[in-house]
Amino acid sequence: MLRYEGIRYISDKQMVVLDIGSAYTKFGYAGEATPRGIIRTEVKCPESKEIRRIFNYIDIDDLYQLLVEFLHLLFFRHVAISPKDVRIVVLESLLTPTQFRETLAKVLFRHFEVGSLMLLPTHLATISTLGTDTVLVLDVGYQEATLIPVYEGVPILKAWQALPLAACAVHECIKKDLTDSIPNLRIPEKTVEDIKVRTCFVTTLERSAKLGTDDAPSPPPAVKYPGLKTIEIPGYVRERAFEVLWERDNDNLSISTMILDAIVKCPVDTRRQLAENILLIGGTTMAKGFASRLKSELNTLLKSDLYSDKLKIQTFKFHKAPSKPNYTAWLGGAIFGIADLPARCLTKENYLKSNRVPDWVCLLDNQKDDTSNCGI
Amino acid sequence: MAYLFQPDYVRYVCSCGSLKPISKMYFCRHCLKIRCGYCVCHEADSHYCPNCMENLPSAEVRLKKNKCSNCFDCPCCFQTLCTRAGQAPLRPPASSADAKQDVKATPKKVYYLSCSLCRWTSRDAGIPDQYVATGGWPEQENPNSTRISTLIDFHKVLASKEKQEQQRKKFPTKRTFLQYEKFGLTSAMVRKRAGKPLEPKSLIQHSDQPAPAVANEEVDDLPAGIFTEAVDITKITTLEQRLQHPDVQAEKINELRPQHKQFLVKRSQRCRGCEHNVSKPEYSPQSIKFKIQLAAFYHVPEIRIVTCEPLRVGVASELLLKICNPTQHQTQISLLPLDTPTTPTTVTASGEEQELKRENIQMGSESPNLLPLAVRQISVTEDPKPITVVSGAEIALPECPLFLPPRDDAAEYDETNDASHFQDDKKVVVWRKGNKIVVRLHVTPFANEQNKGEPVIVGFVLRHGYVNTLATLEHKAPQKSELNVQLFLTLGNLVGTA
Ligand SMILES: [Zn+2]
Ligand SMILES: [Zn+2]
Ligand SMILES: [Zn+2]
Ligand SMILES: [Zn+2]
Repeated sequence: MLRYEGIRYISDKQMVVLDIGSAYTKFGYAGEATPRGIIRTEVKCPESKEIRRIFNYIDIDDLYQLLVEFLHLLFFRHVAISPKDVRIVVLESLLTPTQFRETLAKVLFRHFEVGSLMLLPTHLATISTLGTDTVLVLDVGYQEATLIPVYEGVPILKAWQALPLAACAVHECIKKDLTDSIPNLRIPEKTVEDIKVRTCFVTTLERSAKLGTDDAPSPPPAVKYPGLKTIEIPGYVRERAFEVLWERDNDNLSISTMILDAIVKCPVDTRRQLAENILLIGGTTMAKGFASRLKSELNTLLKSDLYSDKLKIQTFKFHKAPSKPNYTAWLGGAIFGIADLPARCLTKENYLKSNRVPDWVCLLDNQKDDTSNCGI
Repeated sequence: MAYLFQPDYVRYVCSCGSLKPISKMYFCRHCLKIRCGYCVCHEADSHYCPNCMENLPSAEVRLKKNKCSNCFDCPCCFQTLCTRAGQAPLRPPASSADAKQDVKATPKKVYYLSCSLCRWTSRDAGIPDQYVATGGWPEQENPNSTRISTLIDFHKVLASKEKQEQQRKKFPTKRTFLQYEKFGLTSAMVRKRAGKPLEPKSLIQHSDQPAPAVANEEVDDLPAGIFTEAVDITKITTLEQRLQHPDVQAEKINELRPQHKQFLVKRSQRCRGCEHNVSKPEYSPQSIKFKIQLAAFYHVPEIRIVTCEPLRVGVASELLLKICNPTQHQTQISLLPLDTPTTPTTVTASGEEQELKRENIQMGSESPNLLPLAVRQISVTEDPKPITVVSGAEIALPECPLFLPPRDDAAEYDETNDASHFQDDKKVVVWRKGNKIVVRLHVTPFANEQNKGEPVIVGFVLRHGYVNTLATLEHKAPQKSELNVQLFLTLGNLVGTA
């Protein structure tokens, strides 16, 4: 970070940017290039002392208490700020359930008494990191992969895609493979995640096609994984971990078809530009070999019967954001949030009056002066 | 009383519905209400480094990104690193003349960072030793900071344009600037725009616009040796280690760099009903004292379980409770059924009982720690939490009120028995000394199929007299009132049925 940057913003009121993902929460201040930290989205229950994921809430009351506990720790231990009257930017996924959004706003305004809240859709905020306005944003996180194409700054909502193909599914695969090869192995998800991050990778399309056949290539070396008992992670587990993201056996749905299906749903004259402006975000896209596998999958599918007459695209091009993919969305919020647009913020006064959070689509619809754009 | 490693057997119900031991609660002397960590407003008072205890004004804390410039955490195990002194390795003399000089020169002292827990050192990571004990360690900068600065500046310009636009919109003019309108348009509109020539583009071209990012057909391939090379997992970082340093996220252990230690905050607590502080620590990070500490155990009688006979369904068991008056005033206590209303009452000058409300609470003059009137806002209310505890036994409560003398530290050492001053019902009050009594109650557990195996809980309302001394500074007579608090006692498991 450059030295002058701190001085430049010192006079401004601070704005906290939060990206509360289903596995990890990224937090920091608007106008900074790096999040102050990345922590797990979980809390230790004060009564039972067990670790609970926020997104595994039982009901709304449970979620409310989990969020109070989590945000209290986040504000006072990690961000180190009094939340009262502070301005907050929260990145939210397209698939964020309404009850989650409503409960989060209630906790922020009623419990922490924050000054204002700006909810930014992840995919849109992300394009602020590129300085262009036509980007096909694919976010592969923990729970699901989501995609929205953005054309000239406008999201093409009818082309959105979402599939439960993300870290959680990968962890399930590794866990299954490991318990098959080592009987009686009990392995917590945290360890599975660690094994994934440190030893697994996305294999090439050519090798993938041969996996499990007689002609299978020799697997990569096994890895000794230390712990209470050292276990050996077979090479095929390392290589097969991410295959679930690309399998198309039944319904022909994979990470790569998400991109092609989205492009098919976009207007013809936007397609080439979108295919040549793909941005991958989310921690799962950081797996070794992810992008190169995606590229070969896309090129192969394009020639297949499924898409060859529907799509006339020649090439796919990928962007690199000035950040690591697991916090690119946060950075988008940190750049967009600095703009300080009162019209896009929900203030405490307005929230206490209406007691609800307008959906971002209607929120911004309402303030537009042309009415040609309803019917989403 | 709360125990460090035991469950909380006696829990008080806070005004917000939380159940907590009395040691974790506050008592706001201004609202005469119990408050707890959940329902007070926490504020960060000061930031300090937990290692060197340095504290800085908040502007400087912001500038330093809330990190101590002198102390570092180990990048491997996150413990605090120590600075170690060592000798600089002697360079082989270049010539015989130099060699003669070197004999006399004392070897130079150098410093490196070392972790006493996992043995990581800055030398392992290839960080050069320093010649001064503090500071001077190389800082890692985000490689993209220049680009991000440009993008931020650009967005500021866009924002001010949009603000101007909104100003102008108050007068009926045609809207021209659309770039920033990223939200809420539908595909219908996109199609419309896609067909159009790129006319809005020209409007946003100005000098501040950063060069747009260029997408590339080339992507990172798998490392060549991945299918053949053996992996030494001890040389690969864990996700936790990577996330300590988000903009680098190094994959190899030797690429890890020490991280500046994060400041911690000292917090003060403010009552959300009246904005008075209920707890405020001294500013200095070394001090563990408080300027204000309105803990509930200074104001509300404390109840402890002395003994409880084994519990059987339908059989009355004896329960001995110790009650202690922590205040400087004699108080009268009644134990009432759980469904008693908990609204506080006071006796007016004419002698009639009335409900204690905000208007008739005697307030002292505005205390100095209260925020100025102009800053105070409408209080934001949070719905009280529903109480989910269910009473599992019938409790027989004494009908007569119990009197407790004020706390007197000297009387603790007084051997004389003063029980005779009070006309106690010996069946109820079994012991009395100073400001403490022990009372005998009886509990009869219900047969409850649902809570089988769960400990039996009983609840009641503790009504206690409270003398409000806030106004005595102004030579007014202290106001006496009756406050009520709900309590839940966890008595233990059933031993069987009769
Ligand atoms: Zn409370
Ligand atoms: Zn320090
Ligand atoms: Zn260490
Ligand atoms: Zn108060």
